[in-house]
Amino acid sequence: MLWLKNARVVDPAQGISGIRDVFVRDGRILMIGRSIPTDRLTDGGEPETLDCAGKYLFPGLVDAHVHLREPGQEYKEDIASGSRAAVRGGVTSLICMANTSPVIDSQALVAFVARQGRRAGLAHVYPAAAVTKGMAGEELTEMAELKASGAIAFSDDGRGVQNGEIMRLALEYAKLTGCPVVSHCEDAALAGKGVMRRGRASAALGLAGMPGAAESAMAARDVLLAGETGGKLHLAHVSTRGTLAALRAGKAAGWDVTAEVNPHHLILTDEDVPLTNSAFKVNPPLPSAEDRDALLLALADGTIDMLASDHAPHAWEEKARPFAEAPFGMTALETALPAIWTYLVQPGKLSVERLVDAFARRPAERFALEAGTLRPGMPADMVLFDPEYQEIVTASDMASKSVNTPFLGRTLRGYPVKTWVGGHLVFERPAAV
Amino acid sequence: MNWPRKDLLDIAALSAEEIEIILDTAVSMKEVLTRPVKKLPTLRGKAVAMLFYETSTRTRSSFETAAKILGADTSSLAVAQSSVSKGESLLDTAKTLAAMNIDLLVVRHAASGAPQFLAERLPLGVINAGDGQHAHPTQALLDVYSMREKWGGVTGRKIVIVGDVLHSRVARSNALCLTKLGAEVVLVGPPTLLPPEMDYLGVRLSYDFDRELAGADGVMALRLQLERQQSGLFPSLREYNRLYGLTRERMARAGKECLVLHPGPMNRGVEIMSDVADSPQSVIETQVTNGVAVRMALIYLLLSGGAVDAVA
Repeated sequence: MLWLKNARVVDPAQGISGIRDVFVRDGRILMIGRSIPTDRLTDGGEPETLDCAGKYLFPGLVDAHVHLREPGQEYKEDIASGSRAAVRGGVTSLICMANTSPVIDSQALVAFVARQGRRAGLAHVYPAAAVTKGMAGEELTEMAELKASGAIAFSDDGRGVQNGEIMRLALEYAKLTGCPVVSHCEDAALAGKGVMRRGRASAALGLAGMPGAAESAMAARDVLLAGETGGKLHLAHVSTRGTLAALRAGKAAGWDVTAEVNPHHLILTDEDVPLTNSAFKVNPPLPSAEDRDALLLALADGTIDMLASDHAPHAWEEKARPFAEAPFGMTALETALPAIWTYLVQPGKLSVERLVDAFARRPAERFALEAGTLRPGMPADMVLFDPEYQEIVTASDMASKSVNTPFLGRTLRGYPVKTWVGGHLVFERPAAV
Repeated sequence: MNWPRKDLLDIAALSAEEIEIILDTAVSMKEVLTRPVKKLPTLRGKAVAMLFYETSTRTRSSFETAAKILGADTSSLAVAQSSVSKGESLLDTAKTLAAMNIDLLVVRHAASGAPQFLAERLPLGVINAGDGQHAHPTQALLDVYSMREKWGGVTGRKIVIVGDVLHSRVARSNALCLTKLGAEVVLVGPPTLLPPEMDYLGVRLSYDFDRELAGADGVMALRLQLERQQSGLFPSLREYNRLYGLTRERMARAGKECLVLHPGPMNRGVEIMSDVADSPQSVIETQVTNGVAVRMALIYLLLSGGAVDAVA
C-alpha cells in the first residue's frame, strides 16, 4: 500500500490537474482525491506514505516509438538496458520497433521480445511486428498470428513501404487484427543519399539533403490509402508541413489516422546541425525552423496526436565518423521528458496537461494499452516529476548502452525522480531524493 | 607576423586580413619557385603526411612539392593499399599517423567535415585538401591568388562561376573567399545543379550564362562529373555544353580581358572548349604553379606559426 500525498496530479483522461492524494493497493490505483479519509485506508495495515509537495505525479509515459535493438544488435542496446533507460526517463510502457536482426516478422520473435520485456521486469514492453516479411516491402507478414503472439502494431519502421499497393493491402489486411499500421514515411528515391533536410543549412555544410517531400509525398499517399481502405493508420515521426497538410485533410475527412512527433523535431532545427557531430543525424532529419514551428502548433492543437521518443541507440564507434557515414538515430528515452520540459513547457509553448495527454493518454488509447491514466483500477504506473531538478546530460549517467544524444552536455531542468510500474518502485533518481 | 591557427579547414573561418596574409606569404613563396635551387631549410625536421581518401593527382603532388621545397619530410598513405581497406576507421587511421609524430596532416575525403572531424580530435595540424561538397579552401586561395596576380586585387571585380554548383566544394570556397575580399560573385548553372538554397552564400544565382558574362572580369568553369547525367541532373552533355559550356563565341561577350579559370581536371569539349582553355586569357596552367606557392605559404604558416623567416 502506498499513499502519495499532496502531489500535483495531471491526468487528462480524468480531467484532473491539481493537488491530489493518490492511494495505491495491490499494484493498482485504488483512490484519487483531494483528501482521502484515513479510515478507508487502514484496512490491511499501515500504508507507506510519501509527501509529494511541489512535485507532479503523472501517469507513466507511454512511448509509441522505441528501438531496443534486441535481438541482434545488443551492443547498441538490449531489452533490459532499454527498459532501465525507459523507467529512468519516466516511460512505463513502450512499443519497440521490428527492425532488429532478424526482423520481428514471426510469432516466435514477437513472443521472444515480449518475454525479454517481462524478464527485464521494468517497463511494459510491447512488440511491434513488421508489416512485410523481412521488411523487404514485398509480402505481408502473418498479421493475425503475430497479433496472437503479442504484437500490438505493425511497422516497417526504419524504411518506408515503397510499393503503394503493398501498403494498401497492409491497411486492408490489418483490419483482421484491429492494430494500427504504423508508417515510416520515406520515399527512397526522393530521399536519395540525403543525410539531413534539404535547405540552406545542408547546402552550407555540403551535406546531401533530402527534400521534405521525401516524407510528405508518402504521408499523403498513406493517408489517402487509409481513407480508401478504411484502415487504421498511424504516421510515425512526422516532421514536415506537407505531412501536416495530409494529416489534417485525413482527419477532416473522418479517416482513422493518427500521428506522432518526436521531441527533437520540436526543439532542434537543421540550423543546429554541427558538421562534425553525428549525434544530430536522425531520420527523419531535423526540420527547418518553419517546419519545427508548425509541428509545435500542430501538437498543441491536436492535429498531431502524440509524442514519441524514437529512441534509436547506436554504438560510439558507429557514430564517431564523419556525418555522412554515421547511422541515423538519437537516444531519447532518458532525455525526452526533461528536454520537453526545458524547451517547451517551461517557456510556455506546451501545457503540462497537453504534454501528459500526448505522451501517455493518447498513445495508450491508440494502441489499446492498459496505461496512460491514473483512473482507479488502472495499474499504478506512475512518475513523480520534479520540475525544479536540474542535471547536466552526462554519458556516464545513462542507463542506455548508447549515448548518441544531441543534448549531451546540456543542462536540462525537470526530471522524473521516482517511477513506479504496477505499484513497484522501479527507479529513483539518487541525487534528487 | 603571427599565425595562431593550427588547422586550415574552411574559408568561412578566415577573416579578409588572414586571407591577405596567406596570399602575401605566397608571393614570396612563388619567388622561390623561380630560383634554380628550389629548396629551403625552413621546415627541416618537420613531417607532413598526406591522407587522401579520394583519388587526386594534382592536389596531392602540389602539397607534396610544396612541403618538400620548404624542407619538410613527406609521407603519403595510399588508402587502397592500407589498413583502411581492412575496415580501419578514419579516426583510427589518423590516430596512427599522429602517433608517428606527424606535424601536419593533409586530408582529402569524400565525406563533408572529415578533416574538421580529425582536427577536433587530434593534436596535430590539419589542412583540408577537399571534403565532400563542403570546402576546398586551398583551391579557392590559389584561384584568388591567380586573379590577384593579374589584377593587383579582386575588390570590385565580377567573377562568374559556372557549372555544377550544388556538388562543388570549389564553388563554395571560391564564393566565400572572393566575397570576403570584396569581389562580386555570380553562380551560374541549370536549376538542377543550382538550387535556390545556394543563396546561403549571399551571392547572386542565375540560369543565364550569356547574360552574366557581360562585364565579367573572370569566369571559372567547374568540372562536370559526367555520371550526373545518369542521376537525371541534366539531360545531355550536348545541351549542357550549348547552355553552359565555355566557348569562344561566348567568351566574346565577356571581352578580351576576361580571365578564364578551371580547377582541373578539365573535360575538354564539355564545360570548356580547347580553344578557350588554351587561349591567352586562360590562367589554368598558372593556377597549378600558384597552387604550389599558396600551399607552401599555408604549410609554412601552420607549422611555424609565422615565427621564423621563411624565405632566407
